[in-house]
Amino acid sequence: MFSVPLQTGVGEVNPVYLGIFVVYLIAVLAIGGWAYLKTNDVSDYWVYGKELGPTLATWSYVANFVSAVSVIGFVGSVYGGGYSIVTGIVFGLMLGISGLYFVVHKVRELNHITFPDIIAELTGREVARPITGCVLLANAWVYLIMQLVGAGLLVTTITGVPYRYMIWVIGGVFILYTVMGGLVSVAWTDLAQGTLMVATVAVALAYMVFDLGGLTSLNQQFMALNPANVAPLGDGTYTLIGVAASIVAFFGTIFTSQATVVRINATDSIRTAKFHLAAAGFILSVFYVMLVMLGAGTTVALNGAGLAVENVDRAFPVLIMEYVPTTVGTVIIIAIMSGILSTTDTRLHACGVTAAHDLYDYFVDGSADDEQLLLVSRVSTIGFGVVATAAAVNPPGTIISLYNWRAILLTSALLVPVYVALYYRDTSGKAVLASIVLGAVCGPGWNALGEPFGAPAAFVGVGMAILGLVVGRYAWQDTTSASPGATPSDD
Amino acid sequence: MSILGMPTGMFLVFVATLVAGSLGTAHYVIVHVIMGQPVDETIRGETPSEVGENV
Repeated sequence: MFSVPLQTGVGEVNPVYLGIFVVYLIAVLAIGGWAYLKTNDVSDYWVYGKELGPTLATWSYVANFVSAVSVIGFVGSVYGGGYSIVTGIVFGLMLGISGLYFVVHKVRELNHITFPDIIAELTGREVARPITGCVLLANAWVYLIMQLVGAGLLVTTITGVPYRYMIWVIGGVFILYTVMGGLVSVAWTDLAQGTLMVATVAVALAYMVFDLGGLTSLNQQFMALNPANVAPLGDGTYTLIGVAASIVAFFGTIFTSQATVVRINATDSIRTAKFHLAAAGFILSVFYVMLVMLGAGTTVALNGAGLAVENVDRAFPVLIMEYVPTTVGTVIIIAIMSGILSTTDTRLHACGVTAAHDLYDYFVDGSADDEQLLLVSRVSTIGFGVVATAAAVNPPGTIISLYNWRAILLTSALLVPVYVALYYRDTSGKAVLASIVLGAVCGPGWNALGEPFGAPAAFVGVGMAILGLVVGRYAWQDTTSASPGATPSDD
Repeated sequence: MSILGMPTGMFLVFVATLVAGSLGTAHYVIVHVIMGQPVDETIRGETPSEVGENV
């Protein structure tokens, strides 16, 4: 990956946009304070006391799903590569949500908290917790950086406050309110932010479609800029094998995200777990179709107005600042900030849960009491948040490149071994662990080597995970596997 | 041939994406709402290593 030049200083401070942003931050801090009073123990902090109902679960999932990647990165990607992102990324994500709907009962019925809990049971080995925890922390941390970069770029552009200051303001506020209220804060702010965001993107798209002479006209102008913009595989952006690998990678991330598994385990019933994925799948598929069309509108509008940008991540912020009227821009800003920050808090929360529940508790041999675990969750949330904010000052790649990297990591490491073991419970625990380690090393490793021989990293990672599972199954066929409900051993 | 100003192939990708995201929705509505089939609510009690023991 490479370093991305960021706009670190801009023109005059815009008092209207800055004022809106300050009010927004105060509002989320107030919710954090209220949630702090509602959080009585570590169960509330981690999984909302397992009382998450259908409406809160659905909108919390939607808000968590739509991130800086979606609103800044996807619009930027459409600006740079046309609609091919739908083929390469969005289709796989949507298929993944529906796929998870059909297996979610297998996850919820185990009644755990985190993904490593499930893997520890499936493998019969507590050591699975730190191994899986490290993979999940790497993903959550990269995701955090992406969100902070997106938020920083946007707020810097619209308020005029330099990026190097704004990134710390955003990081600080979101660390603070996540630390205060845990999943109670996260779920309620997500409900507000999710509904606001979906409605606002619909309004923004309607404005752009009207402004550009209708949807057909918008697409015709988008195609006139470059015919590859409306080609399913883009102008060489994707090959067929590349599309297949990308679909697998993004399909897999839906099943393997710690934040998703924690939220599933926070639901009050299997019916709610199924409902929230069913409803979110529909809402998100409509939302993403609207969003990529908004990206096309942005491309047409900026090029038509002579406002073309070099860093594609800046396309949408520039549209808001330079193209649309202030009132429309204000509405769009609220939606984008909602999307970015609702994902940021979820990932911060996931970092805290993983560090306390899957790492700390393992290394103290389960002897930590409630207060210690809550303290470790909060301290690690602050720690990961601060380090991610520092990394976001000079990020290691574009938003989309970071997004792709963590998709390869998650899917390679966790998709095959975990879900095979969920359905085939006699699978050797050692084979599952070997598969996880092989996938985690080979997928991102192949990506770091530049994908030699044209073999996509997702295929190599998933392929090695399958190989590890098959070979391990025969090599360790006498190894005792965990039976349902068994307490994992400590080896 | 174009639909909504984009080639048919691209249009079909959009349709496929909407269908892919709605598969779970369709199943839930048909099976659990229209047909009234209940969801199997077999959720295990808290396991020994879980938070429930601590709370």
